[in-house]
Amino acid sequence: MDRLATAWAIFQGLLLEALPFLLIGVLISGLTRWLTPGGLWLQQLPRQPLLAPLTGAAMGFALPACECGNVPVARRLLAGGAPIGTALGFLFAAPVLNPIVLASTWAAFPDQPWLLAARPLAALLLALALTALLQQLSESQLLEPGLLAERRLNQPLHKLGLLERRSGLIGATPPPTPAATGTTATRADLNSVLEHCSREFLNLATLLVLGCAIAALVQTLLPRSWLLLVGGTPTLSVLGLMLMAVVVSVCSSVDAFLALGFAGQITPGALLAFLVLGPVVDLKLLGLFGVVLRPRAIALTAAGASLTVLLIGQWVNLLLL
Amino acid sequence: MGESATALIRPLALALWGSVLLSSSLSGRLDLLLRGAFHPLVGVSGVLLLALAIQQANRPSPSDRRSRRRWSLSCLLALAVLLVPPNPSFSDLAANRSGDPGGAGDQQTGLEFQLPPGQRSLTDWVRLLRSQPDPALYADDPVNISGFVLARPGEPAQLARLLVRCCLADASPVGLPVRWPRGFRPQADQWLAIRGRMGVERHDGRWQSVVIARQIRPIPRPPRPLEP
Repeated sequence: MDRLATAWAIFQGLLLEALPFLLIGVLISGLTRWLTPGGLWLQQLPRQPLLAPLTGAAMGFALPACECGNVPVARRLLAGGAPIGTALGFLFAAPVLNPIVLASTWAAFPDQPWLLAARPLAALLLALALTALLQQLSESQLLEPGLLAERRLNQPLHKLGLLERRSGLIGATPPPTPAATGTTATRADLNSVLEHCSREFLNLATLLVLGCAIAALVQTLLPRSWLLLVGGTPTLSVLGLMLMAVVVSVCSSVDAFLALGFAGQITPGALLAFLVLGPVVDLKLLGLFGVVLRPRAIALTAAGASLTVLLIGQWVNLLLL
Repeated sequence: MGESATALIRPLALALWGSVLLSSSLSGRLDLLLRGAFHPLVGVSGVLLLALAIQQANRPSPSDRRSRRRWSLSCLLALAVLLVPPNPSFSDLAANRSGDPGGAGDQQTGLEFQLPPGQRSLTDWVRLLRSQPDPALYADDPVNISGFVLARPGEPAQLARLLVRCCLADASPVGLPVRWPRGFRPQADQWLAIRGRMGVERHDGRWQSVVIARQIRPIPRPPRPLEP
């Protein structure tokens, strides 16, 4: 019974900490929707395979939210017609590449300059790898059906295949797009933006509750000592800390302080793996990703991120041990 | 259910989540769950959600059955969080994290400013012992600390505190070994205030500081039990 009460308290702690960030993300997403009607500005973002994720990653500096807040913003980018690479680059890199997270890493590890450089670099590398991997899937295999439909509404018809269009006549000339004619789409009124925000917040909050409940239960039932037992072993320590990052599900803006507690007992590669994997893949995010990606793409993200982070951790251990 | 009633489910769910955040902020529940730096953010978010709920209640809009079902579930979850307050077992939580080295979660080495021994909190003592781990330096110093009893299987009970960086999910225990008076049986999770002296004991082949308890007083859990 004690254990259940503790799990309930951890669940509430995770949830109450994450909900404000979710609200911030939803409000930023609503603001983007309001300021860029029709997503015209978003469609002008770079599409090149390398430049697109780099642009998305750089957007983290302008939108400093942790991973829960980033999901609604990434969803808005995709719904508004932003290039897939840019939106995915933002989704995967921005939780680390933002001023708050970099400052907290510096505050926690001022005596480890290598980490201050390695964390953003590794996050960028991970975002590039995941973006390249997920772009092997078609949009319909990658994006959640509701999001895909919304995205297609905001894309010019000439960019869609015949089967992807849900209206129009085969052989007919597609109507000119606002971008082509130089006209601007009308700005949605504030009430409808707020209504959209409230719907999005409630849908995401329900999924967040699910993620927090799983994270709290696993944390309570799985002793942390098991994950730290392998601290000194190069490969196992990286794996152990990766698992810990997934289980603990703590916000990326404070995970460096948590890592401070066991940094002295683990290999440098494991420390970096903890700080890079957690913001991209954790139990709390499990449900939230479902509003952006299809289950297969989520599985691919988890597998790709784990493999990339394992390799990065191993490489760092090879260099520094 | 009438159409106007179903249109109000969304504002109701928003209002309930807003109430969860705001009431947690005002009732002191956050003191048990989150580090102080996050409290204003939670309170402001609660106010924003309540304002959004009022704005949306004035403009009810239709929604499909699936969304209504999801929001009804959201209402129930928010009600559960609102009505069932957290009551964690700190001892259970700390024992689960006993692998954290040195009772860590904290590597602050050395205190910038050292309080006189009698004014040091349990956390101050742990940080001091970690930065200058020679037990002889503190022998016979007066000790006046409070914390909860951390009982780990196969180990003598310690007096402990939880350090939190973000929320209860990352809480890490710090503890001090205590030589309990003969006949006194500390109960796990019980909050105690201890007066005594710092002694030196041999444990597992090495000397360590131990609190020799002279006066033990049960106390209620403090309003802010987590330490930064």
